[in-house]
Amino acid sequence: MSYVDVAPALSPRARRRRILRRRFLRRPLAVVGLVVALVFVLGAILAPVVAPYSASATDFSSVLGPPSSNHLLGTDELGRDVFSRIVWGSRASIEAGVLSVLLAMVVAVPIGLAAGYFRGWIDTVIARLTDVLLAFPFLILAVGLAAILGPSLSNATLALGIGAVPALIRIARGEALALREEDYVRAAVANGAGELRIIARHVLPNMLSTLIVQGTVLIPTAIIGEAVLSYLGLGVQPPTPSWGVMLSDAQSYLTQAPRLAVYPGLAIFLCSLSFNLLGDGLRDILDPRTTR
Amino acid sequence: MGGFLLRKAGAALVVVFCASVLVFVGVRALPGDPAIALSGESNDPAVLAAVRHEYGLDRPLPVQYAKWVWRALQGNLGLDDRRLPVAHTIVSRIPISLELALLSVLVGMVIGIPAGVIAAVRRGKPSDHAATTFALVGLSLPHFWLGLLMIIVFAVDLHWLPSGGYVSFGAHPISNLEHMAMPAIVLGTGLSAVLMRQMRSSMLTSLGADYVRTARAKGLSEWSVVCKHAFRNSLITVTTVVGLQLGALISGVVITEVIFVIPGFGHLTIDAITARDYTTIQGVVLVTATGYVLVNLLVDVVYSLLNPRIRVSGGSA
Repeated sequence: MSYVDVAPALSPRARRRRILRRRFLRRPLAVVGLVVALVFVLGAILAPVVAPYSASATDFSSVLGPPSSNHLLGTDELGRDVFSRIVWGSRASIEAGVLSVLLAMVVAVPIGLAAGYFRGWIDTVIARLTDVLLAFPFLILAVGLAAILGPSLSNATLALGIGAVPALIRIARGEALALREEDYVRAAVANGAGELRIIARHVLPNMLSTLIVQGTVLIPTAIIGEAVLSYLGLGVQPPTPSWGVMLSDAQSYLTQAPRLAVYPGLAIFLCSLSFNLLGDGLRDILDPRTTR
Repeated sequence: MGGFLLRKAGAALVVVFCASVLVFVGVRALPGDPAIALSGESNDPAVLAAVRHEYGLDRPLPVQYAKWVWRALQGNLGLDDRRLPVAHTIVSRIPISLELALLSVLVGMVIGIPAGVIAAVRRGKPSDHAATTFALVGLSLPHFWLGLLMIIVFAVDLHWLPSGGYVSFGAHPISNLEHMAMPAIVLGTGLSAVLMRQMRSSMLTSLGADYVRTARAKGLSEWSVVCKHAFRNSLITVTTVVGLQLGALISGVVITEVIFVIPGFGHLTIDAITARDYTTIQGVVLVTATGYVLVNLLVDVVYSLLNPRIRVSGGSA
């Protein structure tokens, strides 16, 4: 008697999730990106547990000390443990990086969607306003906003988020414009479905993959943006540590202790690289043309 | 062609106008009373009132705006905190930043375009993976870290290049290039990553086209096919990427000038913002926005010249 092995039936959504997961695991770079990004995020959340010292614990007996058993990466100009400051500093970067992007998405996606879907005068107004905002380079906008709002981490996050809004509006608008021409949307309209229902059931879910990818790729820009703002003194204020502030402090000691410039920068680099790899991998697997 | 240009120019003008309003309002929103700064930190209300009247700060906002725009159109951007004409400072600093930007684009092209062509021609092979990985690394590398690293290696350790500062080209060409070398390489690396990706993608598209297969079948050498398409694609690629990355380039110039202490336009921007020099901030941001819009317009024009299909459809996002 032949024995037919029947796999358990999966819903289409679960099947798609499994396909995506398999595709993701076939891309080692993306997996590495995910793991490293998670390490940074967890490090930020668990900073009090991971960091051996507090961020401002000074030890004037070992100023600018090299790496040792007591201090994994050495000490800075005030005798503070560099490794601990990097771990504590990751909080500022991850918070600014992730929160600013979330903020930007929450604001930009509805606006862009409305512009692209409803068209007409809404679209014209929103598109022109976006063009005006896009006349200012992202960093200039963020620096200007941070100067207006005053230097602090939350203001820097706000400035970075607002700075990212115009570009995201454009992306969301483009997606909505394309999706409203799709057959299933037209079918839904012909069937008499209400606009809100069409948007919620057909347009928004299909924009999701592009938005996820764009968001993930925007995070490194925001992380570097926060570092730049802190470097310029417009972000996190001392004694709160931030990778950007550490770099700015290190510049005065390049001859005596160049490693003080290497470590925070390395952290910024690895953190943004991991999110870039993750975003690239996500873009790859969510592309309908991908076969493996 | 003329109609297309006119439409684009008109749109650009509207954007610049709205940007100027935004700049004006934005600077007024900065914390602190400008009268206090302008009067030399005086607390006497009579002095403050006199200062406000002298600078026209007591007039209604639209009037202030109109006066500012009128003067700006005549090239008068006001006086900064040290009573120096802002327009003059800006004009003297722009060439420095322009030189940095152009050198960076050059570096980016020299690295990125060949890398992209090689990656496309040897697709899937180790050199493609290497080039693509290099591009990804270049994208994630923060400018200012690379700058600091290069200062450590080339200035502090090897003493090959100066760690900062600026010498004008007219005064001393070699020294000027020495000072610009590291900043240009720092900025050019990021640009080369984007150029490489774009170049690879466009080369893959055109090398896969049917007429290329025909050319190969007719016996044309692989080398001549690649070269011809590389040249054609590189023009479009560079134009597109420069257009898209203009904002990043400007921001990069700003940061690089701060790290390498180059007295350019970007450094002026940061100094003005940190010192709350309202007049300078207004002038600088206005010039930045106007320049950005103008260059975008230029890129659009060049792109339409290279790709006639854009002209006909009159397309923009």
